[in-house]
Amino acid sequence: MLEVTGLRAGYRDTTVIRDLSLAVTAGEVAVLVGPNGHGKTTLLRAISGLAKPAAGRVLLDGEEVQGWPPERVSLRGLVHVPQGDGLFPEMTVEENLLMGAFPAASWRGRRKELARVYDLFPRVRAMSGQRARTLSGGERRLTALGRALVRPTKIMLIDEPSLGLAPVAIDAVYAAIADLKAAGTTILLVEENFTHVGGIADTVHVLEMGAIVRTGGFEDLSQDESVVETYLGRLT
Amino acid sequence: MSMTDVVGILVTTITLGSIYGLVAIGMTLIYGTLRILDMSQGSMVMAGSFIAWGVMAVAGWNPVIAILLAFAGTFVLGTLTQLVSVQPLLSRRNVVDFEMITFITTFAVALVFTNVALQVFGPYQKNVTPVISGGINIYNGVNLSYQALTMALVSVALMVGLGVFLARTRWGMAIRAVAQDLDAARLMGIPIGKLYPLTMGLASALAGIGGVFLGGLYFASPQAGDLPLLEALIVVIFGGLGSLPGTIYAAYAIGLIQGTAEIFVGTTWSLPILYGVILIVLIARPHGLLGKPAEARL
Repeated sequence: MLEVTGLRAGYRDTTVIRDLSLAVTAGEVAVLVGPNGHGKTTLLRAISGLAKPAAGRVLLDGEEVQGWPPERVSLRGLVHVPQGDGLFPEMTVEENLLMGAFPAASWRGRRKELARVYDLFPRVRAMSGQRARTLSGGERRLTALGRALVRPTKIMLIDEPSLGLAPVAIDAVYAAIADLKAAGTTILLVEENFTHVGGIADTVHVLEMGAIVRTGGFEDLSQDESVVETYLGRLT
Repeated sequence: MSMTDVVGILVTTITLGSIYGLVAIGMTLIYGTLRILDMSQGSMVMAGSFIAWGVMAVAGWNPVIAILLAFAGTFVLGTLTQLVSVQPLLSRRNVVDFEMITFITTFAVALVFTNVALQVFGPYQKNVTPVISGGINIYNGVNLSYQALTMALVSVALMVGLGVFLARTRWGMAIRAVAQDLDAARLMGIPIGKLYPLTMGLASALAGIGGVFLGGLYFASPQAGDLPLLEALIVVIFGGLGSLPGTIYAAYAIGLIQGTAEIFVGTTWSLPILYGVILIVLIARPHGLLGKPAEARL
């Protein structure tokens, strides 16, 4: 589904992602863990087109999409839920969801798609008339996830879904992600550590200094003292 | 203050405010989405007034045709202006001083338009047939020309139409989305390479229609857009850069101040008083009536 090879990316003079390779197969939930500042967000931005990679390839369903503008990658079915949610603050929740249906084909069926997302996330339906900037952190994240589902999606990139949320809101967000997994959605998710991803991760990749240093199952890696000690700090 | 004064002030407020609003709202739309002050908007007023002159005074056709042609013609001109003076700089917008450079490049395009008009039409003022002639004495000597009335009605209708377009339609909502969060809008698949030229075309078309009416009130000439451009700039800054409601409030507030000053101190002092009031308001509220610090949203 998604295949990244030899990807290099960063900002003007700084390389953040160094020759990174990674594959996500259809229906898989891949989780990338790594400390802050080691390139998790940059990697997602380089895949979705928000950042231009300096080298390497990004294959989406076999098609090379590296260097494409994000609007073009998006139309190929890649949905990126960015850090900070990327909601349109002066729009209502429903208007935000409608923007998820921007591609012409989705726009025609927008009422049906909206109803489907509302059924999946009843809490989003309840706040549909509210302006996005008045939402709490958890409500914002659920809305952003809902917006990502309004159109047909091949793969979802989710940037630190637990960031800045109260524990109860984190549980709600991860329950929603578990629903997506159950529905067969392909997901590449990044987090700072293993704390919340136990129930959903099929594969875990450990990112350090812009490269993947370990790959394995959740059980193996989260039990591996050396991984936890070296890269992530001890879980408490 | 007599009843006659009040009616006179109201008439000036509504007619002046509507046309100020129509010409300025495009600048707000462009600033909100592209973060540039489009100095070519005056040229669109000028082009609209020449189209009105050509259609009505030369060809003798119906004013409705003039309005439609001015809309279409300035839409195309605005789109081309964007493609020439803004689009090439977009990919480098974080590297260069985008706001200042586009201020200059759009101004350069405006100068080209002015000189082309000078070459083609000559320096002399052309009388534009009013869209509609005559007027009514609405109260005790206060006269309202049908031209001014039509101008106010069409302007208000266009501003309401723009509001509905932005609130309800796919592309209108996309314009708002781009204004509020560019990265997120692109992640939704909104093609900014098309949306930006369309936005500038639409804004220009509104100014072009403004030109049809202003041409009828004054005349068509290569410099006919200079004063409207200055007025539009004042309206958008007074209202708060990037705020559509702010622009509309500011347009009518300026109409009100100007109308009041004209009646009580006369035409000579109405502009100095207007600018004095604007100066005081901006000192108290540097971001304008409804502007927000460091951000601008539609």
